[in-house]
Amino acid sequence: MDWGVLWEYRAALATGLGITLGVSALAIVGATVLGVLVGCLRGSGVYLLQRLTASYMELLRNLPLIVKLFFLYFVVGLPAVPSALAALVLHQSAYIADVTMAGLRSVGRGQSDAGASLGLTRWQLYRLVILPQILRVILSPMTTQYVSVIKNSSVVALIGITDLTFQTQQINVETFRGFEAATAATLLYMVVAGAVIAGMTRLQHLRGTR
Amino acid sequence: MTAQIWIWRGLVAATCAAAVWLVGQLDWARVIPSWQFLLLALGRSWWLAIVAMGFGLVAAVPLALLRVYGAPWPRRVAALVIEAVRATPELMIIFWVYFTLPVLTGSQVSAWDAALGSLSVIAAVYLAEVVRAGLYSVPGAQREAAYALGLTRFAAFRLVVLPQALRNMLPALIAQLVSLFKTTSLVYAIGVMDFFRAVSVTNSAVFAPYPLYLVLGAGYFLSCWIITRVVRRFDPGYQLAE
Repeated sequence: MDWGVLWEYRAALATGLGITLGVSALAIVGATVLGVLVGCLRGSGVYLLQRLTASYMELLRNLPLIVKLFFLYFVVGLPAVPSALAALVLHQSAYIADVTMAGLRSVGRGQSDAGASLGLTRWQLYRLVILPQILRVILSPMTTQYVSVIKNSSVVALIGITDLTFQTQQINVETFRGFEAATAATLLYMVVAGAVIAGMTRLQHLRGTR
Repeated sequence: MTAQIWIWRGLVAATCAAAVWLVGQLDWARVIPSWQFLLLALGRSWWLAIVAMGFGLVAAVPLALLRVYGAPWPRRVAALVIEAVRATPELMIIFWVYFTLPVLTGSQVSAWDAALGSLSVIAAVYLAEVVRAGLYSVPGAQREAAYALGLTRFAAFRLVVLPQALRNMLPALIAQLVSLFKTTSLVYAIGVMDFFRAVSVTNSAVFAPYPLYLVLGAGYFLSCWIITRVVRRFDPGYQLAE
């Protein structure tokens, strides 16, 4: 064991961590927006939208992330970072849509009927009545989704983005200190995941749902 | 409503027609000679998923039992192991087993064994959570009733709790199999000739990205779709929700 190698490569590890954080954060925001939208459309009761969004979810959930990533990068020919972001967003949005749908189901039919009878428009109904209630239910499953995004972001190393996983491999190649590097990277991933979990739990407390 | 149904059917028909036309346009002559190689690799992905699922399940049951019924310290250790592995990216786990463990043990494992090993570890921790949820889904009164009838602890578990827990966790088990099947594509990174790598290798040899990626997508989609259909058959909750 030679833990000094981690200090020697601290700049590389910091860059990797920064890229992992950046890619994950952008992908989380994108996937949340797209996923909640798709989930709401699927729960909208409009037949055509339901079928379209159901197909979208079915297609994306049955393909591995790496297939989407390599398709966007090697076949479509997008640059590395946009391919990575698009693949992560597309992949997780299908799961977040499912979480949103479950949330919608938990809000009783009576709520949207009551909102409609008060003369709310569909947009007002979602913004003022349904989404705030869904939020209470989906924060916890959403945490799992966000941790998934962070974990999945390690796949972007395979198309040469210098994230944490890539740096670990690089250290292994240059110094054969794979064990030390992998330990450090794993711990860093755990810290990031732990921070997300802690943040989301705090949010749940603030919303008074725990 | 009926108008939308016809629009949807029209869209499906148009998509199918466009897909058939597109498939006809592609250069299949370069891909067809590799069909046996690709099919074999798809089988290898299935094999990896199913065997890792089997190993995973064997390891998951004691892990879950330890986490649910164990003494305080074993329970904490089991929880720590499960949470630590679950917080680590799957790709990192594969790298760990292939590149890093040999440094500790001093003997190199083959890429295939490393793939099988890491997928089994991944399956074990996720399945442990599935088993745990299954055990919790059985009301405590069932166990108490079994004790009241004079069953031993083990008999109560084997005859009363486990059968009910198994039935409750069947959908989640098969959902894990889908997830695991998709995860097998990551062993590409350590050079195992799974379906994903086989398609990449074929593409490097004959350069026909469009038909090959279509085959790749279709292979994974159909495999997962078949497993998902099976899940829904076993999941009354899902059918009610639809």
